[in-house]
Amino acid sequence: MYSGLSLDQAPPLGIVLRFFLAVPLFGAPLSLLILIHPAELLTPLHPYSLAALHLMFLGVMSMSMIGALFQMQSVLGGKPIPSPLGNGLIVHTLLSLGTLALAGAFFVSAPVLFVIASVLLGSAIVYTVQLVLPLLFGGITHDTLRGMRLALVSLALTALLGIVMASSYADASFGPRHEALRASHYSLGLIGWVGTLIIAVAFQVVEMFYVTAPYSAWCKRNAFWIIAGALVLKTVTLLAGWEYAWGFDLVIAALLLGFAATTLRRLRERKRRVSDVSIWFWNLGVSLLLLAVLAHTASLLGATDALERVALIAFALFGLSVILGMMGKIVPFLVWFHLSSAGYLDAPIMSNVIPAFRAKLLFGLFASAAAALLLGVFLPALFAAGGILGALMFALLFSNLLGALRLYRHTLAHGTRFTQE
Amino acid sequence: MILLDTREFDHPIPLEMAVEAFKNLRNDEVIHMVHRREPLPLFEILSKNGGRYLSSMREEGIWDIYITRSPDLDLEACRV
Repeated sequence: MYSGLSLDQAPPLGIVLRFFLAVPLFGAPLSLLILIHPAELLTPLHPYSLAALHLMFLGVMSMSMIGALFQMQSVLGGKPIPSPLGNGLIVHTLLSLGTLALAGAFFVSAPVLFVIASVLLGSAIVYTVQLVLPLLFGGITHDTLRGMRLALVSLALTALLGIVMASSYADASFGPRHEALRASHYSLGLIGWVGTLIIAVAFQVVEMFYVTAPYSAWCKRNAFWIIAGALVLKTVTLLAGWEYAWGFDLVIAALLLGFAATTLRRLRERKRRVSDVSIWFWNLGVSLLLLAVLAHTASLLGATDALERVALIAFALFGLSVILGMMGKIVPFLVWFHLSSAGYLDAPIMSNVIPAFRAKLLFGLFASAAAALLLGVFLPALFAAGGILGALMFALLFSNLLGALRLYRHTLAHGTRFTQE
Repeated sequence: MILLDTREFDHPIPLEMAVEAFKNLRNDEVIHMVHRREPLPLFEILSKNGGRYLSSMREEGIWDIYITRSPDLDLEACRV
């Protein structure tokens, strides 16, 4: 990922950390909702359940993914996002306020909050897309950048459908196409935005970070075309009211199964077998993806609500697992890189930025929370316990990120610089 | 010549190993780093901190990087 990183092009550390630090701040109310209202959250389409869903996919996941985009764009694209300080602040503020407004709108059923959320989130997403998408064109053929293009287009379409649906919630009038809109909104958001961006990143970082064999060139070249084709056809089929939209789910399921199985095999066959918590997160995350795909496919056959809930929770946990693993790798590197480039002789080594026992504890809490939430679909008391574990995990994440920022600032203020002989 | 073979180490440990070695490098010494790709971020750190380097690809997946703090040492002559 960092093969092309240049300090002159990299965004200031504070920008990326601003997005990352917001993740546990949205994770805290999410965990509280799970703890206090487990039964409501396990009821499909209950307003509390929809509030939790948007806290997770916007406040936790999109927040970290857009923060990572600010970093990745300068590394992979070679064209950094212009004025990262100002633009980062605008996107971060709109996304934070919009997510709070939307979660609040579902929680207290306030029509005006749906309107405010639509304006803020629509602005945040359109602003992000118009900022990053043009940088990904112009002779760029990198597979990961192709995936980023599809992810950003999907994000914009997800927001568009979300705004249409929010207007229905605002005046409580649901048209005949509401369910089709919802299904398209979910597919574009979960697969087109979250899944595609993670696959695009995996194509780049799994091989580089963990010294594995590369993914096949055919797979890297065609995966995003297959996802894009299936999503477009599924959306058209749903909105036109035709049958058999589930057929496109099967195409996507087959691709995700192939991606998950290949990633697990690559990580298992890696040359160097040194314990690394980020690999644990990748292994667990991709295993959760397998579970999500199998549960969703089984639910298509059996149409049980419980399987559909398992699929959705497992998919969210897959995304969060990969995000936590990558944060644990990216944040120490950025702290070390910015300090080393500035010539600080006593820049902390990466393993000291987030100490190993803290990283392992974070994984332990995440894995326990994941198990409790998934089993909690069948035993609601366990689902509430997942909320407690989630709250502890997000508290530790906040402490780890804040610790890294403090270490960076302390070294900047008190560190010793290289001397040139 | 200090040999630093980082080919089997996960990213970004090789960068950290090279910078640690560079910190302790005497003026007349040279680090010969062998890596599986060209470590571009390392070059910026070296350049900004009084270092010089010579980088060349031996074959696909093997790069030789020579690093010194000396302003006039001939790195071409250090090639193995």
